[in-house]
Amino acid sequence: MKKLISMLLVLLLTVSVFSGCGKTEEQANSNQTGEKVLKIWSFTDEIKTMAVAYRGKHPDVKIEYTMIPMTNGEYQTKLKSALQSGEAPDIIALEASFVREFIESDYLEDLSDLLPLAQELRTYQFTIDMATYDGQVKAYSYQATPGAMFYRRSLAKKYFGTDDPEKIQELVSDMKKFEEAAKIVKEKSKGNTYMVASVGDFTNLFFANREKPWVVDGKLYIDPKVDELFEIAKSFRQNGYEAQANQWQEGWFAGMNDSLVDAKGNPKQVFSYFLPTWGLPYVLMPNSSPKEVKVEGSDKTKKVGKDTSGDWACIRGPMPYQWGGTWIAVVKGTKNLELAKDFVKFATLDEENLKNWALGVYTNEYLKKIDPNIGDKLSQGPGDFVSSQKVVEEIVDKFDDASTSKFLAGQNSYRSFAEAAPYISLKLLQGTDDAIQRALNDPLNNYVSGKATKEQAIKQFKEAVKNTLPDLIVE
Amino acid sequence: MEQVLKKKKHSRINKNHYGYIFTAPFIIGFLLFSLYPLVYTFYLSLTDMTLMSKSYKFIGLANFKKLFEDRFFIQSFLNTWKIWLINFIPQLGIAMLLAVWFTSTRLKIKFVGFWRTIYYLPNILMPATIAVLFFNLFSYYGPVNQIGVRIGLFKDAIDFFRSSTWTVGIVAFIQWWMWFGTTLIIIMAGMTSISPSFYESAMVDGANSWQMFTKITLPLLRPVLVYILVTSLVGGMQMFDIPYMLTDGRGSPNGSIMTMNILMYMKFSSNKGHIGAAASVGVMIFLVTCISALIIIKLLKEKESKREIKSINRGVKAYELHG
Repeated sequence: MKKLISMLLVLLLTVSVFSGCGKTEEQANSNQTGEKVLKIWSFTDEIKTMAVAYRGKHPDVKIEYTMIPMTNGEYQTKLKSALQSGEAPDIIALEASFVREFIESDYLEDLSDLLPLAQELRTYQFTIDMATYDGQVKAYSYQATPGAMFYRRSLAKKYFGTDDPEKIQELVSDMKKFEEAAKIVKEKSKGNTYMVASVGDFTNLFFANREKPWVVDGKLYIDPKVDELFEIAKSFRQNGYEAQANQWQEGWFAGMNDSLVDAKGNPKQVFSYFLPTWGLPYVLMPNSSPKEVKVEGSDKTKKVGKDTSGDWACIRGPMPYQWGGTWIAVVKGTKNLELAKDFVKFATLDEENLKNWALGVYTNEYLKKIDPNIGDKLSQGPGDFVSSQKVVEEIVDKFDDASTSKFLAGQNSYRSFAEAAPYISLKLLQGTDDAIQRALNDPLNNYVSGKATKEQAIKQFKEAVKNTLPDLIVE
Repeated sequence: MEQVLKKKKHSRINKNHYGYIFTAPFIIGFLLFSLYPLVYTFYLSLTDMTLMSKSYKFIGLANFKKLFEDRFFIQSFLNTWKIWLINFIPQLGIAMLLAVWFTSTRLKIKFVGFWRTIYYLPNILMPATIAVLFFNLFSYYGPVNQIGVRIGLFKDAIDFFRSSTWTVGIVAFIQWWMWFGTTLIIIMAGMTSISPSFYESAMVDGANSWQMFTKITLPLLRPVLVYILVTSLVGGMQMFDIPYMLTDGRGSPNGSIMTMNILMYMKFSSNKGHIGAAASVGVMIFLVTCISALIIIKLLKEKESKREIKSINRGVKAYELHG
């Protein structure tokens, strides 16, 4: 008896050691039992909305959705190691900052046969260029993301005497004028209104308007625009034209509903934000209303900030640029190739879906009818700018009295984006851009705050690039 | 008779056999998840493997050569030691002071268990939570600046995370805050294992507190201190989560909190995922940790007596129970 018990114990222990490995086998088995399973990885909930909508059309497909944030590059790293070990999902979402790395690798399926469909929908060429390598189109996007400048109408009236978008555009039509306008804002507000929240807000503009890419013939090339960026950024910091509230941090959002308070307790305001198409419905609108904050020492809440909706306007700004965008690709070697392709087709090249997506049909109730387990948050509001020119032209009028237009005091931002989108070129984009631009952050800050001379900053930049990209020649 | 003997012999062999079976799970686990990765890392450090391509080749010591030419490696090496030392010295000092107070028969501090728990609590929190918490506390528009300026602690808001000194200080503080509770528990375990009769006879001989501390407590505590030093060193050399999550994951500002582990992760997660280069950093971390741990053990172990070995065992056990 004792012998039996001890043998059992030993068995149990050994089994528990290997229990980690067992799980994947089980999952693999369930794949083969009739129901089709599609594994999707992404870095936001957007594709999840798409996936639920897809299930509405194909109830027999089960979707396993995994969301991994990409703040410090966790998503990319996880994805790369999964691809390397062959445990990757069927479909992956790729963000503009790293899509080229994957397009240039040999991990993605060739989706060129969907190209006629894209031509039919007149998908914006730059979204296709971005996903093309060696003549193969490996991913498609459902959005196009031209950038714009959003400013506060009330502040414009106060400091420039007008809130008319065309006149304000005139005042900030290039970077020199933008700097002059910043000076006016500072002087007239006695330093209580900043032109932008941070220098980081407009670095994108300079990167988008370079003449040559970062890497030319395997060597690092520093474009003259980088030099311009250094000078303008320094002027903004040294003269106090920016609030030092970095993007995606509390202070940056606080500027949107006027709840920014400096350390001495003085209220501060931010005149403008540089945001692309998605920035309006996802970032600016949700953050432009008062926030409820708990009062210390009691259960009561108080409201912080004010409702700034209707006080915004949208213009092209000093330079054209684009920011972000999500591409959807199929992983090479997937067992569900046809199904995965069909999903990409549905998400990015389906007229009806794109219309529903842009017009806000996918509300929480709509999605809940398909899958009751999605929770109360998942939904897609109206206003995302889609990749098909055909769809855009058909729906642009519907935004004349949409919530986005009300937010901008009647201005139809969709129309302005529609005008800007065909002129975007992403030919400069390379797989190494993200790493190189991240490496520029610290050196730029050192120069801007006066801690380093320009030579020192450029040297730091080159060293940082060499560290992250060992294969690149840095002179 | 013969049969009985045979049977006895047989069963004894069987029992020896059980020993192997019972240790097998650990041995298998160790070989699979500790030794194999270690050997494999050494192998990888000699290749140019990346995540984004399927083929790779053997390139000898080229990774190491590049590493020693890299300013960032030297910097990360110094950073790691700097942050570890800044947090370890006060950690040991304060834990020692508190342990003396808590175990002192003269002071008779009440609710020792309660205080000990309170000090240990930060260690239970997730590093991610702590990093986010401190990031928000010390952000430019955060509460530390708001309160600090208003009560006149500093004149203007400080951009903490753009100043190397402040950021290093904050990381060291977090590490100290998270770990002094653990150190305190181990030291207390070591102190309570010292027989009270030593102190009693010292008191009879007219020794004061300081003399008792330096002449009785410290020498008998040495094995426990070796243990703390070595485990803290191993942990310190592998410091990753707090500095990684506090700023941009690249040791910003100016790579001042880029530890060796962050550098390794940066190489691994760079656009192509240079596994080979990352493995070479890993090998260097292993060597640095091994060599310094051996030196510490050698320096502190020489005068050790048998009794001290016993008390280190007790210390380890107490640590395992608590941790």
